[in-house]
Amino acid sequence: MRRGLKLAAVTLTGAALALSAAACGGDKVESGDGGGDKKTVKVGLAFDIGGRGDQSFNDAAAAGLDRAKTELNIQTEEISAKPDEPDADKEARLKLLANRGYNPIIGVGFAYTNPVTKVSKEFPNVKFLVVDADQCKVEGANVLGACFSEEQGSFLVGAAAALKSTTGTIGFIGGVNVPLIKKFEAGFAAGAKAAKPDIKILPAKYLTQPPNFDGFKNPALGTDAAKGMLDKNADVVYHAAGGAGIGVINTMGGAKKFAIGVDSDQYNQPALSGVKEFILTSMIKRVDLAVFDFVKSTSDGTFKAGTKAYNLTNDGVGYSTSGGKVDDIKAKLDAFKADIASGKITVPTAP
Amino acid sequence: MPDAPAVRLTAITKRFPGVVANRDINLSVDQGEVHALCGENGAGKSTLMKILYGMQRPDEGTIEINGEPVHFKSPADAIARGIGMVHQHFKLADNLTVLENVILGAEPRRRWRIDFAAARARIEEMSRRYGLRVEPDALVETLGVGDRQRVEILKVLYRGARILILDEPTAVLVPQEVEELFDNLRELRSEGLTVMFISHKLDEVLQVADAITVIRRGSTVAKCLDPAEVTARQLAELMVGSELPTPELRESTVTEDVQLEVDDLTVRTAEGRAVVDGVSLRIRRGEIVGLAGVEGNGQGELIEAIMGIRHAGTGRIRYRSGDDLSDITGWPTRRRREAGIGYIPEDRHRHGLVLEGPLWENRMLGHQTERPNVRGPWIDRRGARRDTARIVDEYDVRTPGIDVPAAALSGGNQQKLIVGREMSGEPRLLIAAHPTRGIDVGAQAAIWDYLRQARAAGLAVLLISADLEELIGMSDTLHVILRGRLVAEVDPGTVTPEELGSAMTGAEGP
Amino acid sequence: MTEEKPPAGEPEKPPVSGDGSPAGEPEKPPVAPEAKPPAGEPDKVPAWRAILQGLGPQRLALKVGAPVLALAIALAITMVLLRLTGADPFSSITAMVEYGTEPNSIVDILNRSTRYYLSAIAVAIGFRMALFNIGVDGQYRMAAMLAAALGGAIALPAPFGQLLVIVAAMLIGGLWASIAGILRVTRGVSEVISTIMLNAIATGIIAYLLNDKRLAEVRPGSNNVATPPIPESGRVGELNGVLSAIGIDLPGRLYGLLPLAIVIGVVYYVVLNRTRFGFDLRISGLSPTAAQASGVSSGRMIVITMVLSGMVAGLVGMPELLGASYEYSLNFPAGLGFTGITIALLGRNHPLGIAFAALLFSFLDQSSDVLQEVDVPKEIVGVMQGVVVLTVVIVYELVRRWEIRLQQRAVAAELARETS
Repeated sequence: MRRGLKLAAVTLTGAALALSAAACGGDKVESGDGGGDKKTVKVGLAFDIGGRGDQSFNDAAAAGLDRAKTELNIQTEEISAKPDEPDADKEARLKLLANRGYNPIIGVGFAYTNPVTKVSKEFPNVKFLVVDADQCKVEGANVLGACFSEEQGSFLVGAAAALKSTTGTIGFIGGVNVPLIKKFEAGFAAGAKAAKPDIKILPAKYLTQPPNFDGFKNPALGTDAAKGMLDKNADVVYHAAGGAGIGVINTMGGAKKFAIGVDSDQYNQPALSGVKEFILTSMIKRVDLAVFDFVKSTSDGTFKAGTKAYNLTNDGVGYSTSGGKVDDIKAKLDAFKADIASGKITVPTAP
Repeated sequence: MPDAPAVRLTAITKRFPGVVANRDINLSVDQGEVHALCGENGAGKSTLMKILYGMQRPDEGTIEINGEPVHFKSPADAIARGIGMVHQHFKLADNLTVLENVILGAEPRRRWRIDFAAARARIEEMSRRYGLRVEPDALVETLGVGDRQRVEILKVLYRGARILILDEPTAVLVPQEVEELFDNLRELRSEGLTVMFISHKLDEVLQVADAITVIRRGSTVAKCLDPAEVTARQLAELMVGSELPTPELRESTVTEDVQLEVDDLTVRTAEGRAVVDGVSLRIRRGEIVGLAGVEGNGQGELIEAIMGIRHAGTGRIRYRSGDDLSDITGWPTRRRREAGIGYIPEDRHRHGLVLEGPLWENRMLGHQTERPNVRGPWIDRRGARRDTARIVDEYDVRTPGIDVPAAALSGGNQQKLIVGREMSGEPRLLIAAHPTRGIDVGAQAAIWDYLRQARAAGLAVLLISADLEELIGMSDTLHVILRGRLVAEVDPGTVTPEELGSAMTGAEGP
Repeated sequence: MTEEKPPAGEPEKPPVSGDGSPAGEPEKPPVAPEAKPPAGEPDKVPAWRAILQGLGPQRLALKVGAPVLALAIALAITMVLLRLTGADPFSSITAMVEYGTEPNSIVDILNRSTRYYLSAIAVAIGFRMALFNIGVDGQYRMAAMLAAALGGAIALPAPFGQLLVIVAAMLIGGLWASIAGILRVTRGVSEVISTIMLNAIATGIIAYLLNDKRLAEVRPGSNNVATPPIPESGRVGELNGVLSAIGIDLPGRLYGLLPLAIVIGVVYYVVLNRTRFGFDLRISGLSPTAAQASGVSSGRMIVITMVLSGMVAGLVGMPELLGASYEYSLNFPAGLGFTGITIALLGRNHPLGIAFAALLFSFLDQSSDVLQEVDVPKEIVGVMQGVVVLTVVIVYELVRRWEIRLQQRAVAAELARETS
C-alpha cells in the first residue's frame, strides 16, 4: 500500500536529509564568523514532495541554492513538503519561513504558485520566487515567477533521438501523467518528427497516475517501462521521470541502447557512471540557474518582480554534449535551436 | 498397595476469576484407584483438576504426588511427574494419523529423524496392554468420537502418565461408547494406573469409581465415599445441596392446533450433501417434541432451517400465526422471530450471546425489534435495562449487575439469561437446543419448570438434547434423527436411555 | 437453490480455547463433539479484533486513564528518539508546541483535523461491523472529483449549489463503496481486497476524467489540471466571521464545513448507540453468528454499512472543495483515507476519541515543518505518529484485559458471597 511505499521513499530521502541537515548546521556557524560587515542573509527554500535527493528537479533547485550559499556567503534553510498535502500546508510552510526571518524565500514547484501569491501579500518586504510558476503568471511586487520552456529543450533531444536511432523506433517515458510532463512529451515528438518525418515514436508511457507520484521516485517502474520499449524495438528512449528515470537509463544502458536524461546533465551523475556511455544527451532545465539568479538579484538589489522565462534563447533550457555522443549532429541541432529561438518553429506544449 | 497416596491435595484454595473459588479442598487418591470427582458445573471440579495438572496455580494449599510435595509451574511439570489429562474437547489434528497425533511433540528421534518404527512398536504394545484398540495409521478425521477419545488417552499414556485425569469423558459419548470407555478404565486400573474421573453423571460414577469425592460451590462436601454405600440420588443431593429434580411431564397439555409443520424438508451443504433429508414433523400447541440423535446428524441444520438462518433446500415450513398456518419457508429470520419463535441456540457463545456486550444489550439480542427493548427505530435503554433486571431476578442470573459483559458470567448464568430472554415476549414456538447443557442442577430444574409452565400455556417446543433422560422425561413426542432423516418415533413413556441410544446410532430399532 | 449461503459475516474462526492449545485447533468433522469452552472460562476476543473494533475498557476512569497513560509513554519514547537523532528533545518539543499553538497553526490544525475526522469516521463505521473499508481513499477522491465537476458545471443559488455538491458527493461515495459490499455478499470477495482494487480503479478513472477533453480544463500554460471552479454562489464561506462574533479571532480561513464534521460525529454516535440499526450493526461486528441468529440479515447489513461508510467518505473532500480549493485538481489532498484508518484505530472508533486523535495527528503533521527548521528530520513526525498509535493500541488492549479480569472477579465474588 501507499504508506509502505512512502516509508521506503522516506528512508531513502532520510539519509540525504540527514546529510543536508548536518551541512546546514555547519554552515550556520561558518556564516556567523564569516559574515563580518554584511548583515546575514537567510534564504528559505520550500520543496514540493520529494525534497533534496530526488535526483531530479528538487536536486537541481538544491544545487542552485548550494551555489548561492558558497558564492554569496549566505545562510539557508530547506523544508520539504509532505505528500498529499493541500495548498494550506504550503502556505503554512511559507509563513513559517517568513516569520522566522527568512528572506528571500523560494517555492519549488508549480504547486507553490497560489500559496506564494497569498503569503507574499502578508509579507510585502519578503521576496519570493516560484520555480515553475503555473501558467507563467504571478502577482505582487515582491514575487518572481520562473518558467521554463521544457518543450523546446525536449524538441532538440527529440531531434537527436530520431537522428541517432538505427532501428527507426524511439520512445518517451514520463513519470506521472500531469500536464507538465506532457510538455516534455509534446516537444520530444515534435522534434523527432521534424528531424525525421518517418520516425516511429512509440506511444508515450506514463509510470503512474496522480495522485500517485511514485512515477517520479520508483526506479523499478522505470525499469519495467524501459524493458517494454526495448521489446518494441526502440533504441533511444527519453525519460522525464525524475528518480524513476534511473531505472530507465540503467535498463537502456544494460541493453547497450541509448537513453536521454532530463533536468540536469545526467552523464555526470555518479549514480549513473556505469552506463553513462549510453546517455545520448540530457535535456537540461536550469532550475539551479533560476534559484541562483534570484538569490543573487535579491542580494545585489537587482530584483525585479514579474516572470522570467527560461528557454533556448537564454540557455535556460538546452541539451548537454558531455560524452560527445551528439557531436556529429550538433550542426543540425543548433539549426533547430536557431529556428526555435527566431520563432520560425513553434513547439507545441501538449501532445 | 504402597503407603503414599498417588495424589493428595491439602487445603487447596484458589481465587479464580469467573467461577467459584476453590475453598479449602482436600482430596486423596490411592494408587491404582478410579476416583470420581463429582459436582455441578461450575462447582470447581475443572479448576481443581487444572491445578493438579499445572495449568493453574493454587493460592493456598499443597499438592503431593506419591508422597512428595510438588509445585507445578506448567503442565510440562505435571507431565514430568506422570500426570496426564484428557480434556473434554479433544486436541487432535484431524489431518494426521493416529500415530502422528500420539507422538506429536514427543517424537522419538534417531539421529535427526523421527523413529516411526519405534513409535509404532510402542503404541501397538500399549494399545494391546491397556485394551485401547486403535489403528495407528488411520486418519483421525475418519474416527468416531469414542476412537478419538482412546487416541487422547493413548497420547497421555505415551508421555508416561501414571495418573490420568479425565475431564467429563462421557459427555460426548453415547451409552455404548461409555461402556467401552469404562472397560478401558478398568483395564488401566488393573495395570496399576490411577484414574481421576470428573463427571456429574451419577449412574456412571457409581458404575466405575472405587471412591467418590463430591464438591459443591468450591468446597468438598463428601470425601472418598464408597460407591457401594451411596445411591445416585444421595450423591446428587450432595452435589446440589438440596432435593433433586427430575425431568418429567405430568398430564398432557397437547392440543389439536398445529403450531409448526415441517413438510419433507431437505437441507443441503454447499457441496450438495443432504444434511437434513426429507424431514416431516409437526408440533402442536402445548406439545414438546424431542429430537434424539448423536450430534452432527442434522439436528443443528434442521433448527437453523426452521429459524431461517439456513436456507431450506426443498420442502415447506408452515407456522401458525394468527388463526391459520402460513408458509414461512421464505421468511427471513427476523420475521420468524417477530412472529413468536423463540430460540435457545446450541452454541450459546456463538449464536446466543454477544460476549463483549453488557447483559442488557444481550437481553435485546434476537428481540431488538420488540418492546420493551425499542420504540420505533430507537433503542429504549430504560425499558431494556428494566426488563433485563427482571430476567436477572426471576431467572436467578448471578451477576453483580446488568452492565457487565456477558463474557464475565459463568456458562450456567449465561444460559439462564438466554432462557429468560427467549421466554419473555410470549413465544408461540420455542426451539430449545440443549437448554440445560452445562448448567447446574438447580437451574436445570428451574428451566424444566419454565418449559412445563409455558407448555401448559400453549407453547410448542422443539427440544434437542444430548441428555437422554431430559429428552425422555420432557418430551410428549420423541423422534430419532440419524444422518439427517427421522428414522423412528419412540414413545417417551416406555423407552429406556439404552434403547434410545441404540436407535440413535442406528444399531437397531427399539 | 440448494447452495447454502456462506456465513456472510465474518469468516468462521475456530473457537479460541482458553487454555492455549499448542497448534491451531483443526476444524472438527460433524461427528465430533461441539467444542465448547469449559464452563467458567469465557471466550477471549482475539486481540486483533479487539483492536480493530475499538473494544476498550468500559469504566470512564479507565477510558480516560488509558489514553493519558499511553500518550505519556509515547511522549517519553519520542523524547528518546529525538535524543537519538541528535536533537535536543526538550527544545524540539517546545518548538513544536510553540509553533503548533500559533493562531495560524491552530487554523491549519483544525482544518486538517476536519478532513482526518471525516475520513476516520468513515473507516470507523466499517470497523464497528468488522468491515475493513480500506477504500475510503478512492471513495472520497471519486466523490470529490465528480462533485467538483458537477458544482463547476451547474450554478445554483446559495444553499442549493452547496447541497447539490454535498449530496452528490455522498451518493457517489456510497455508490462506489457499495461495489465492495455487493461483491462481498454475492461473491464472497473480501472487502479488503476489493476496496484496495477499487482505490486503484478510482485513481485510473480520475486520471481519465481529469482531462481537458473530459471533465477538467487546462488553463493555458498551466502545469495543473482542474475541474472548472465552483462559482461564488456555490462555495461555503469561512468560519472565522462566526467565531469572531463570539470573540474568537483567528487568522486565515477556517473551513466553513467544520461543523459538518461535528454533526457527523454526533450522528455517528447516536445512530450507533441509540438506534436499532446501530445495535444490529454493532452486534454484527462483535459476533456475526449471534447477529444472524438474532435475525440480522448479514448480507444486507454489509451492503448498508459499506454504503454508509462510503457516504461519509464522500464528505471527506467537501470542506476543502467548498471552502478552499473550489476545484478538484492535481493538488487536491490525497491519501486521507489511509490516514483515516490510523486515526480510527487511535481514536478507538469512538467519536470523541477520533476527534482527539485527529487533532493530535494534525498537530504532529503541522509541526513537521518547524522540526525541519530546528534541524530535526521531518521523518521523525511519522515515527512519532507510529509510536503514538502503537502505544495507545497496546495500552488499551492491556487495560481492557485487566478490566475483564476485574469483572470476572466481581462475578466470582458475587457467587462466593451467596455461597457463604
